[in-house]
Amino acid sequence: MGLFLYHDGQEVTYEQLIDDINRQTTLKRYVRESNPYEILKDIVVSLVAGERIVLLDSDFTEQETKNLGLSVKELNEEVTLKKVKISSFEDLLAKIKENSNRSEIVLYTSGTTGRPKRVAHKLDSITRGTKVSEKYNGNVWAFAYNPTHFAGLQVFFQAFYNQNPMIYIFDMDRREIENVLRKYNVTHISATPTFYRSILPYLRETLPSVEKVTMGGEKYDKNLENQLLKVFPNADVRNVYASTEAGSIFSAKGDVFSISPRIADKVKFAEDGELLIHKSLLGESDTFQLDGDWYRTGDIVEKIDESHFRFVSRKTEMINIGGYKVNPHEVEDEIKRIDGVVDAIVKARNNRITGNILVAEVKVKDNIDKMEKEKEIIRVLESKLQSWKVPRIFTFVDDLELTRTGKKVRK
Amino acid sequence: MAYKQERLKEIINIILEKNDRQPLNTLQFDLSLRNDLGMDSLDLAELTVRIEDEFGVDIFEDGMIDTVQEILDKINKR
Repeated sequence: MGLFLYHDGQEVTYEQLIDDINRQTTLKRYVRESNPYEILKDIVVSLVAGERIVLLDSDFTEQETKNLGLSVKELNEEVTLKKVKISSFEDLLAKIKENSNRSEIVLYTSGTTGRPKRVAHKLDSITRGTKVSEKYNGNVWAFAYNPTHFAGLQVFFQAFYNQNPMIYIFDMDRREIENVLRKYNVTHISATPTFYRSILPYLRETLPSVEKVTMGGEKYDKNLENQLLKVFPNADVRNVYASTEAGSIFSAKGDVFSISPRIADKVKFAEDGELLIHKSLLGESDTFQLDGDWYRTGDIVEKIDESHFRFVSRKTEMINIGGYKVNPHEVEDEIKRIDGVVDAIVKARNNRITGNILVAEVKVKDNIDKMEKEKEIIRVLESKLQSWKVPRIFTFVDDLELTRTGKKVRK
Repeated sequence: MAYKQERLKEIINIILEKNDRQPLNTLQFDLSLRNDLGMDSLDLAELTVRIEDEFGVDIFEDGMIDTVQEILDKINKR
């Protein structure tokens, strides 16, 4: 059996993965781990055992974990596993299938209310887009997402079901990436535009082995596509639309997305152009705001014909920073808790590196040293929030701009 | 010219200090933003926004750049 995962100088084969699964006696229900092998292995263990597993970001702060509303007891829950003896990869897949009606993968996504939203997926909803066939046998995947996020899981299952090697480059020193992609003859890469922009300056020579380059999670960028084609001359570049709620649903060449006939009756456009997705395509969550049987995506699209559309804008206030969605209210609330702060507003500033960054306007009490206050705010936010949620530029203002109805002006 | 370099140095130093790195005394032109100054995507995003506010130039408009010299070229071209 071949390579399963390369990470940080270590190679693990599918055979070793199976050995580790056979040996494992307990499973942490809540995975909060930074080592990608441990995360992926625990996912497979949970599927074999038919257990629910909850994936948390390893860089969640105490405060963010608290906001999930989970008790310490829950967070430390350990499941005792029945002994298994898996003899081959086929046997592994058979065990996973056998228990697939019981297993469940739970993710948290930034909610529009400021509280993270819990989304539970059954294996068939998470693997809906997974394609298994002999023609994928030779694929080698560069893994460039956080494995606790939906996009990462989709890459994982695509590679795993075809027994493909995964080369974990998400946290790799950018200077090593070109060599590693070449050494393992990587054929497939899926990442956010921000990730591609971060590695492009280090890709000096062309990489002919790459056949497919997928970008998703952010706005389509034609200029980036052209730069990628220079480095990956044999690649087919695709743009995907995916969300934690529904997974990857549409794929595009350029910026025109097509709706496959398979799901044509499960997608529709609201009068204001908002894209609606039928609830049967979603994972399960108590916090989805359904409109009858339809989920409002918050994405405003331009309909080209019955089966094609283009994205125009976001309806919600969520801000996309390099593929991570941030609710500005969550950040404002944390700033306003700080002593001496009277009011604050958090906005997006766009740029060509991460799409957006956060900037904040803050009103503080009189006689406060603003330089010191800025340092304090950054320090406090860094201890409470994941790094991309901390505003990068602070402006101190006498008054925040308000609309006529008294709402703050975010744009 | 000298003024622009001084302002650029100040902007870079704001970001370096946030990352607990030693601020620059002089601006060396061959410094790499990523390798020598350790900037990640968020740092570069902040840098480009601050430079745009100061000089009205989008330094990544025509693609990726990586050295202090390349930034200065963009700023001076204006």
